[in-house]
Parts: sequence; structure tokens; C-alpha cells
Amino acid sequence: MDPEATLDAARERISACEDTEALKDLERELIGKKGLVAAMLAEIPKLAPEDRKAHGQKANALKQSIVVAIANRAAAFSSSQLETARRADDFDATLPAPLADRGSLHPITQVTRELEDLFLSMGYEILDGPEVELDHYNFEALNITKDHPARDSQDTFYCDEIGTLVLRTHTSPVQIRAMEDRTPPFRVIAPGRVFRQETTDASHDHTFYQMEGLVVGKDISVAHLIGAMKTLLRGIFGRDLDVRLRPGHFPFVEPGFELDARCPFCDSGCSVCKKTTWIELLPCGLVHPNVLRAGGVDPEEWSGFAFGLGLSRLVMLRHNIDDVRHLLDGDVRFLEQF
Amino acid sequence: MYVSMRWLARHVDLTDITPEQLANDLTLSTAEVEGVERFAPQLHDVVVGHVTTRVPHPDAEKLSICTVDVGEDEALTIVCGAPNVAVGQKVAVATVGTNLPGDFKIKKSKIRGVPSFGMICSVRELDLGEEHDGIWVLPEDATTGAPVAVALGIDDWIIEIDNKSLTHRPDLWGHRGVAREVAAIFERELLPLNTSLPETGSEAPYPVTIETAGCSRYVGLPIDGVKPGPSPDWLRWMLLAVGQRPIDLLVDLSNFVMMDLGQPNHVFDRNRLESLGAGRGVVVRNARSDETIETLDACERKLREADLLICAGDTPVALAGIMGGDGSKVAPETDSLLLECATFEATTVRRTSTHVGLRTDSSARFEKTLDPNLALEATGHFARLLAEIHPEVRFPAKPTDEGSWTDPASVIPLRTARVRTALGKALSDDEIRNILERLGFGVSDNANDPAGSVDLFQIQIPSFRATKDVTIEQDLIEEIGRIYRYGNIEEQALHFDIIPPPRDERRMLVRQLQDRLAGGARFNENLSYTFIEDGLLEMMGELDLPYVSVINPVNQSESKIRRSVAASLLLRLEGNRRNRGDVRLFEIGKAYEPENGNERGEPKERHLLGLAWAGTKPGKKAGFSENRLMGMQSIINDLLHSRGCGSPEWSSEGTAPAWAHPGKCLFVRLEGAEGPVAVLAELEPGLAPKLGLTGDLTSEVAIGEICLDALLAARRNGGGYRPLPKFPGIKVDIAVAVTEATTAAELITLIEQAGKKQVNHVELFDLYRGDSIGAGKKSLAFHVLLQSETKTLTDKDEAKFLKRFERLASEAGFELRMG
Repeated sequence: MDPEATLDAARERISACEDTEALKDLERELIGKKGLVAAMLAEIPKLAPEDRKAHGQKANALKQSIVVAIANRAAAFSSSQLETARRADDFDATLPAPLADRGSLHPITQVTRELEDLFLSMGYEILDGPEVELDHYNFEALNITKDHPARDSQDTFYCDEIGTLVLRTHTSPVQIRAMEDRTPPFRVIAPGRVFRQETTDASHDHTFYQMEGLVVGKDISVAHLIGAMKTLLRGIFGRDLDVRLRPGHFPFVEPGFELDARCPFCDSGCSVCKKTTWIELLPCGLVHPNVLRAGGVDPEEWSGFAFGLGLSRLVMLRHNIDDVRHLLDGDVRFLEQF
Repeated sequence: MYVSMRWLARHVDLTDITPEQLANDLTLSTAEVEGVERFAPQLHDVVVGHVTTRVPHPDAEKLSICTVDVGEDEALTIVCGAPNVAVGQKVAVATVGTNLPGDFKIKKSKIRGVPSFGMICSVRELDLGEEHDGIWVLPEDATTGAPVAVALGIDDWIIEIDNKSLTHRPDLWGHRGVAREVAAIFERELLPLNTSLPETGSEAPYPVTIETAGCSRYVGLPIDGVKPGPSPDWLRWMLLAVGQRPIDLLVDLSNFVMMDLGQPNHVFDRNRLESLGAGRGVVVRNARSDETIETLDACERKLREADLLICAGDTPVALAGIMGGDGSKVAPETDSLLLECATFEATTVRRTSTHVGLRTDSSARFEKTLDPNLALEATGHFARLLAEIHPEVRFPAKPTDEGSWTDPASVIPLRTARVRTALGKALSDDEIRNILERLGFGVSDNANDPAGSVDLFQIQIPSFRATKDVTIEQDLIEEIGRIYRYGNIEEQALHFDIIPPPRDERRMLVRQLQDRLAGGARFNENLSYTFIEDGLLEMMGELDLPYVSVINPVNQSESKIRRSVAASLLLRLEGNRRNRGDVRLFEIGKAYEPENGNERGEPKERHLLGLAWAGTKPGKKAGFSENRLMGMQSIINDLLHSRGCGSPEWSSEGTAPAWAHPGKCLFVRLEGAEGPVAVLAELEPGLAPKLGLTGDLTSEVAIGEICLDALLAARRNGGGYRPLPKFPGIKVDIAVAVTEATTAAELITLIEQAGKKQVNHVELFDLYRGDSIGAGKKSLAFHVLLQSETKTLTDKDEAKFLKRFERLASEAGFELRMG
């Protein structure tokens, strides 16, 4: 048998194969256990010893050539199959995917967490305080005396006739609770829900969210307060905003301020800043000595600053929400947007 | 409060200060300015015209044709309908193109055939009053062609200050007080004001008796010889500028003095006082219980003993500090008056004002705690102004000055080092002194300071600042800071030791629960009101439980504070089901139990997670676990597992909440926790229709509540690492038919017994009821994973297990349903 001729014939037949099945059959016939090459090798014992080696080499070379030829032919088949697999004639890229139900965190939760994380990163402790609060913490200890107009029931929900228990009107009572439970220096924030006895409308609700902040240490100054408030605003708005501090009166701070930030939504006045380019964001001040004393802190030795931030308002500003009542309405169409 | 710049300029030179600058500087140093507006801008649009000719209109009896010189090359022809127009008059002319109040634009027009080039205006057309008898005739010396505002010298800007930012500053409720601030801010001089009393006669002072602690000073000055009539123009324009309607001289002057010095005052008719009081003079006393007074606004006011009255003898004539009464009216023909300038106690006035629902310019000022010195100053100011306007008035007696007031002026030591530390700014002692002196404080070094400290000042607090606002060192620091300007203080970073805050288990738990629920469980986080509606409590039969409740709710039916957070979610189901097939809500919040309060009177506060899942009922072909109850149970299992409280035992032992199906209610208790950690139930079927879940909204509802306090107390028992199996296990399926009374737990126990510790995992995969197994029975099918830690299990082990199970099951009377 002439190996050259055999190989040519085999190549011809391999090229003639039109599918994988035919190629497999041919592969068996040529190089299978009972195939052509196997028959060649089976002849070896019958040959003269000096011819055996050359014959064996020829048979193996023939086998290698056939293997290559079959592999090439097979590759041609699979590339045409891949081509078919890669076609996308029946694919519509605009088919809408089915809507997945989605869970959501309340926007108040989201903004609270952002602020908590910011303050945690600066070593502040996060505190909680009761929503049903003793008059002592909500007013008396905060230097809001019995005669103060803020005590009048037009603002406060009272839980009893004698005025022991109220729904807290601000998160500030946590200041006193914080001072009672720790020794200076310390810094804390207290986000939470507060209440004011007022009729609700699109921009007022009787229940809303605030965040209190209190820092007590040695020689805490207005300069520190300005620095801390700028850091806070940078955390909220992601960039530096001009601020201005102007006098504001709150019984539990002295001096007291209103901190305005340059309106982040406009350059020349918009509805959010009421055309002033400033938005009133943070009532703050140095803690009044009476308040430090009420919390058991010696105002001669320690000083501090406190601030409040309206979380409900911040959420409304951030998401451009036009009605505060959506926040506590429980409408999934609102909740799932966040 | 409105502040007129022209008025302010009576007290301080405002040259070169623009209205915007004034507003900005007041905001940054004193109080929030809410607006800056030009007074009567329309008076800048109309010009002074001089009527040179007037002829009747040929075709209209009431019209006349006027030639009006408005300072231009050519005089204007204007057709005018007013009867009082006359040659020689100076009038206010709106020329063609002018916009008048009410968006009324003047055009060239033809009136009955005669062209008219403008309008001669009335007071009403200029929105300055109601008079419309005719055109407004200006003073003869008004400059022809000049804008009316300029010609009359009434060009003015009005600064509106937010009243809320003035609550602590009684001294700023008058122009002079604001002027004092402006003088301090702009480093100008506060012009002197003479408030000494003019010469008085020698008659006996008017009798005044104070019978109450609510009035600390009462100054009464008799005035004779006043001719009633309108105020002079300057006074009328001042009042108009701050939005006060001029009435007559006495009322106007009273208002002017109040808005100039901040001291409310009242003018009584002495004849009237005499006749009502039978010569007993003025008595200031508390009202008697249920006593009434008719105030000048014609309202009958019912009083309490805490309210203060000004009486003629015993007859009430005024509600002290708030409003005069019927008896305080001044008769038109009278010329015998009594001026009252008094000091009433702030809280008393505020409470009375709130009680009777009447807040006035007067009460707003008394509420701020006025300086008693002001009573006499205002008396002098009033008398001097009146005498200037009406030189013929006489003051027959010295003013009566009653009351047990003390001068509030005080002295406060100020450590200048403290100023520097508190502001974080190195101000010099001289800078500090300068600012305080500009504000009217007296500053003296303390030579006798025992500590020998050189930076100690003794600050004399003038009475007008001492009643309320400036009482301690920090108040002075504020004064220095605000005038120095907080904007001039550079920010500084805080310096603290780096110590992490204590670990906050509850906050970490809350975040973990929120994340899992909003994430994998796909629940929407909700926040509801703390108040729970009576209607809902009534539906649940829980109206009579103890609640913390508010005595002054916004809505009468929402006075109670919730005891459960899950209950808050119930009323959110109906509305959401209208929009969604499947509604999943969770809420983490506080609930209160007054009966478990502490000795301080604080109710017990509980932190709860409420869960509600509602949706269309599962179809007939739904698998046994495709219901919300089991779905929520899986979710709660996952939550507990994430907390390290894996494989919780569920039990039906416990008191079902009012919202729970009495039979389909489950509890989880954990070691270390008091009471159930979680409760889960189908909604009580009786509640569904009351909650509106009927018809198309008929729902399958699962409700759950987890007590975070209990969960935090629970021991973390499970979770963590278990070594991975070394040898492959065998999966065996078992199906058993049992009576309805047999529980899955019994069967699982049996499987575990049969497995002899080789049972790694048991999972229920089918629950079947049907004809093939008979009524009252159910078939449960389990995947059981057998696994050994020491060898590869074989078919023989499986056969042994099945044999043991068969024996145990038949002993228990269960029917195996194999293959």
C-alpha cells in the first residue's frame, strides 16, 4: 500500500464530508480501532525485522496527517455552527423586561444614614431619645422656663393636664440626656422624630424629623462651630457651600445663630431660597451655661456647641418633594421611588 | 415689624447707606430682615402738575378740560371728571405710559371727542386711602414736574423685620431701638432725643391705684386743651409708611410714640373716667372670675382672675396692655384727657392675649418684657410732640407715677479672655470695649478685682437691654460677636482624641433588618404617624387599653400613641392594594405602654418592627408554601438567622394580638429574651372587611411584629461555621399520610429518630389533601438528607433508615406512601 496515495485518497474523502456525522464515520474507518491505519500496523509482525521500523513510522505519520485533516474539516463545521449561534435576527432590543417588585428604604432613613455615617467617621456617637418626653428634658433643662412662649400649648402636644409629659418638640432633650450619661469631652448626634401641635398642609406636618448635634469639650468656640457646620454641609451637598452665620435666638444656646447656606439649587434666586440665594438650614449656637449645668456639666470648665438640622426638610429639598405629608402617608407609589 | 428708613433717620444719620445694605447688615448683626420695599412706588411714577386752565367739556356736563403744566416744554391737555379741580392747583398727574396700582396703564385717549393725555389722580387711584370725592390736591409749594414722592419729601424705604427674630429684644420694637443698632453697626451717632416732660401745672396729680403685681409702673399724665382733628402731614406719612392707617391726632400720636419708642400707651377721656369711676380715678386690678369687658373691636371678652384690667373706679375701661374697652373711648367734644404709659407683666399679658384670642401691637410689645423706665420717657415724648403740633395744649398736673418697679439696669463682669475663647477670635480688649460702648453698654475696668485679673471689665447694662436679653457673660459675648460679625471669624477644626464611639447594637440591628427587608425580601419601608386612630382601635376592640395620649390633638380621633407598630400598617393596606397586587410594608418605630412606666412618670418605650404583606389570594394550583404567612415566616427566619439566632422554634402558644387570626398565629421565643421576640399571623378575618379589604381588594394578609428590645436581649445561639461534609450523603424522599391533627413536627422528630444522627437535613416539599388519601387526612412529603461524618453511606444504610422509619411510623399509626 502506498502511503502517499492512501493519504491523498483519505484527504479527498475528508474534504468530501458534509457533516459531523459523516466525518466521525470516516474517522473510524481511517484511524479507528479496526481502521485503515490499524490494519497497516497489524502487518508489522509479518514484515522482515529490518523493514518493521520504517513501516511503523510511515503508518504513524499517515495517522498524524489524517488527524490533522479531520481536525481542520471539523473546525470548518463548528465555525459555521458558531456563526449560526451568533445570529440575533429574532432579538428585539426594545422588548420591555418584566417589572421586578422592589423593596425600598424610606428617604428619611436614607438621609439619616448618610449623616450618621458622616458623623460616625468623625467619632461622634449616635444617640436615640424618647419621643414621649418629660417636660424637664424638653423644656426646663433646656433653659425654656415655665413662662416661655414655647411652652404654650399652641406648639406642644401635652400628654397630661399637669404638663409632666409631652411629645418632644425637638431633638434637643437628647442634649441633656447625653450630658447626664457621659463625662466630657464627647460629641453626639441624635436623629429622630419630633412633634408640633399644628394643622397640617403641604409644607407643615405635626410630625417630622430632626437631627440634633452636641459637642462638649475644652474651649469650644464659634470658630469650631463654623468649621463643624461647613463639614456637615459638605457631607450633605457633596461640595463646599458658602455659609453665613447670623444672630438667632434659642433659649438653650448663647450666643445663638441661624446658619444659612448659599442656595445649592440656583445662582441668582429660586423658589427654594425665596429669591434670596440663601437657605436657612441650621439653627445652632454655643450651649447655654444653664443647659450645661442642667446636664451636670460645669460651664466654667467645659463649653460646647449644639445644632439642629431638619431632616424632613432636607429630604424634601433633595428630592424636590412638594408635599411634606407624603413622607408619612404610607403610599407605596411614593415609597418605592427611593 | 416694619421699619421706615425716613423714620429711622430721625434718630440716626443714614447718609450713604442703601436700603439693601441696611437690610443685609441688620440681618447679619441683629435680626432677620424679610423684605425691603419702596414705600408707595406709585408716587414715583406720578408727577406734580400745575393746572393752568380749566374749561367745561362741550359735550359732558361733569367733565372739564384742563391744561396741566408737568414741567415739560408743552403743557398737557387732560380731561378730568373731578368736581374739585381748579386753576392754580398742584395735582398728581399720571402721564401717558404710567402704570397705576391695580395694573392700570394710562393711555392717550379721547373722552367724548376731546383728546386727553394723562390723568389727574385721586387719593384712591393712588391706593393711598379711600377718599374719592375728588382729585388729590397737593401743597402749593410742590415742585411742578417732580415725582410726587420727591416733591412731598416722602421718598422712603420700608424694611420688614421678622417678628420671631425679635422675641428676645423688647428694645427693638420701636424705631429708636433699631436706630441704636444701626448706629452701633455703622459706627454712627445715635441722635439725642429729648423726652423730658414739658412744663406742668400745679393741680393735684390724677389718682391712680395699683392693686395687682401684674402692673409694676403706671404713669398717668392729664392733658387739657386738645382740639381733635387730623394729624399733620408728616405724621400721617410716617404712619402710612409702616402700614398704619392715620385716624386722628390722638390715635396717630399714640401709635407714633409706640412705634417710635416701643412703649404702648393709651389716651382716656378724663370726663368719661370721672363719670364711670365716681371720682376714684384709675384702678389697675385683676379681673374677677367671669367678669367681662367689651373691647373696642365690639367683642365681649370673658375674663379670668389672672387677667388685668384698667378700671375707672371699679368699672373696667381697658384690658390692660391689650386693648381699650368701650369706656376708654374719647368723646369728640372732649378736651380733657389722661395719657397712660404703663408697664405690665409680660407673661400676664401674653396669657390674657392668648386666652381672649386677641393679639395687638400693644400686647406684642408687653409680651417682650418692657423696660419700666420707658413709661416715663414715652410720656414725655408724647407730651412734647403734642405740644409741638398743638402749642395751646396744657398739662395741668405732674404725671402720676405709681408702682413698685425697680430699675432693671445691672452690672455684669466680663472676662475678655472668655470672649476670645468663646468666639475663637483674638479680639483686643479695646475692640471689645469699643463694640460694647457703641451698643450703649457702660464699660469700666475693675480696679478692685480680687484675682487681680487685668482682662476683667465691669459692664453696665442699660435698662432697655437688661429686662430680658442681657443677663449673663455669654449674652455680652453674643453682643460682641454679632457686631464684630460672625462672618469675620475663621473656621477652625475640632481637636479630639481619636476614640471610636461605643458599639451601638441597636442601630446595627436596625440597619441589618432594614437592609434585608428592603433588599432580598423586597419590602417597602414605611413611616407612619405615632398617633393611632380611634377608629382602628375600635375595629380591633382595643379602645380601652391604656394609652399615652395627648390632651390637645390636631384631630380629635388621633390622640392616642400607638402600642404596636404593626397595627399602624393596617390602615395602609386598602389604599395600596388599589394600586398594587402585592403590598409589602415594614416599619421600625417606637411604641409606648403607660402601665409599665417608671417612677419618673416615663411610659415604657418599646422598639418594634412591624411587617404587613397583603395581596391577591393564591390560586388553587398554588403550592402549599405559596402563601403570605409562610412567606413571611421564611423572611423572619432569615432575619433571625442574620442576627445569629438561627433555627428558631415557632409555637402557637401565646396571646394572639387583636389583629391576628386566633388560630393561625405563631410566636418565636428566644433564650434571654422576655416575652415573644416575634409574632406572626394571618389577619383576623373579621378585620378584613372593616379595613376595606373586600371585593376586588379581598386579600390574603400576613402581619408580623418583632420586638427589637427582646431580640437584642436574646442569646445568639446559632449560625457560624460548621465543617463541610467529608463524605457524600444520600437523598431519600418520604411521604406519609396522617390525620389533620398530626403535626409536621411529630413527623420530623420521627425521621430524626429513624436516622440515628445521620439525618443532616429535612425539608418538606409537598403537602397534599385530596380524595386519594381520604377526608380529614393530609399527606406530607419530605426530602431527607442522610449523611455520616465517618463514611460514605450506601444503599444498605438507606434501606436500614427506611425500615426503621416504617417501623416507627406504623407504631405511631401513620400510613407510609412510598413510590
